[in-house]
Amino acid sequence: MSVRAAPVEARPLTAAPGVRTGRARPPRAFDRPRFLKVFTGLVYVYFFVPILIVFWFSFNSARSLQVFRSFSLTWYRQFFHDPAIIASLTASIEIAFVTMVVSSLIGTLLAFGLVRARTRLARPTDVLMLLNLVSPEIVTAIAFLLLFTQLGITLSIGTVIIGHVTFSIAYVTIILRGRLSSMNREVEEAALDLGATNLQAIRLVTLPLLWPAIIASGMLVFVMSFDDFITTYFTTGLGVQPLPLRIYSMIHFGVTPEINAIGTLMMVITIAIVLAAIAIFARQHNRQIVTLLE
Amino acid sequence: MTANRLWRLLLLPGGLWLVLLFVVPFGVVIAVSLGTTDILGRPVYGWHPENYTAVFDPIFLPVLLRSAVFAIATTVLCLLIGYPVAYMIARYGGRYRNLLVVLIILPWFADYLVRIYAWFVILGDQGIVNGLLHLAGLPGTPPIIFLNTPMSVIGGLVYDYLPYMVLPIYAALERMDPALIEAGKDLYGSPARTFWHVTWPYTLSGVIAGAVLVGLPAVGDFATAQILGGPKTYMIGNLIQDSINTGDWPFGAALTVVLMAILSLIMLLYIRSASRQVQALG
Repeated sequence: MSVRAAPVEARPLTAAPGVRTGRARPPRAFDRPRFLKVFTGLVYVYFFVPILIVFWFSFNSARSLQVFRSFSLTWYRQFFHDPAIIASLTASIEIAFVTMVVSSLIGTLLAFGLVRARTRLARPTDVLMLLNLVSPEIVTAIAFLLLFTQLGITLSIGTVIIGHVTFSIAYVTIILRGRLSSMNREVEEAALDLGATNLQAIRLVTLPLLWPAIIASGMLVFVMSFDDFITTYFTTGLGVQPLPLRIYSMIHFGVTPEINAIGTLMMVITIAIVLAAIAIFARQHNRQIVTLLE
Repeated sequence: MTANRLWRLLLLPGGLWLVLLFVVPFGVVIAVSLGTTDILGRPVYGWHPENYTAVFDPIFLPVLLRSAVFAIATTVLCLLIGYPVAYMIARYGGRYRNLLVVLIILPWFADYLVRIYAWFVILGDQGIVNGLLHLAGLPGTPPIIFLNTPMSVIGGLVYDYLPYMVLPIYAALERMDPALIEAGKDLYGSPARTFWHVTWPYTLSGVIAGAVLVGLPAVGDFATAQILGGPKTYMIGNLIQDSINTGDWPFGAALTVVLMAILSLIMLLYIRSASRQVQALG
């Protein structure tokens, strides 16, 4: 690596008049790859040590969070034998799934509208969506809480889903809009020239091209909803607590090693979904390129 | 049905959803913030601007200032740590570039609360660091107190939001032609001068985007200050949470409005500087 990076550090061979001559000073630390490499390595350690500790101690047989005694699945067993926690996990998956479906639908429609509609309403809608995206979650979460209680709506899993869908729409729309505007409109026009109706052209030509982006954004939304704490905190009612709230109260009432197991499981679920999304995206993408080339 | 009518129709569900569930709720927050509560603690509408005077009461002023200081410190630290990392990946990442970027995002997939909890485990009085110190032959000494200090909260916030700083800076650096840096050096610029006059201005848009992405959620965060800190390190988010939980909804709503107003101001400045940059670039 250092050999390849050498030209970057090369000093001019001949010095211009007025410029310091003699032995070139060594490059400043910031531009020296070695310093950068060590620094970056340390940052990656900082990134991963906490997560690896959670992972490692989830297999600890002892209660201690300081000493790893021996390998065991005690904390996982405890997790799967606790009906309340299983109910929380199910609730979280339910919320994330419904959020994914609803926000994918609304977000995709909105992306189409924003890219293609010629109306003065498009700009304000766009601004509204971006405002929603940059509003801090605590603000929108409090707003939901006040709205629901003022309307006399009992907080439940349904209100959590409404909250999650609202912050998810913008992500779907932005991803889909990028894909839509980079897409070649002529493919669709060809279908129209061949006698397809507007809806047929969308269903048979545009949507198949959009699927990978829709699935990818849907999975992103699933992960965000599954892990969400702030909106969930303010919109959950007295019923089953979604998993992040369960973790929150567990931390509050004293640390138990079971959190390590829950955290590891959640991480596994999340990463599996993300990998699946990447795989679908890559496969479809390749297939599309192949079809276009043929 | 003409095509344009169809497209306009498609704006409807999303647009309506945002109006009914983003604009209207915020209106409710403003209405509640100007109201009061009845004996049962239910909000009653009215005209009580004193809720806003209460926000700037000397009792709460330290919390507001602390939120600002914590958020700014978090943003600056994220920049100091994130910029070199982004620079390293973009310039010297080679064929590992994509892998390195994925590794930056990976910790984000661990649950937000679990990540904070991990630091609690590491830094606690009975935590791993104190455990290691104990093993290292310092038994009997009182544990080092990390938690409940401004540093632990800021450190936790940095850990929460660092990827949001690295990614936009990386994107800006990746767009940049390395020949520009070479050119700077050919013109006898020292590395520092080349960085300051060539690289830094080129990536400024990424830095500003990163600052917004880190700063905004950091101001509103409340779980980090709660788990890694305590009442001494409370931020505006904790104050909002407390007033909502104790039933003082008008005050919580007023705090929310103030928070939103301050952040909107920052966003406005950001949009103006961004559009000025676009103009400067032609």
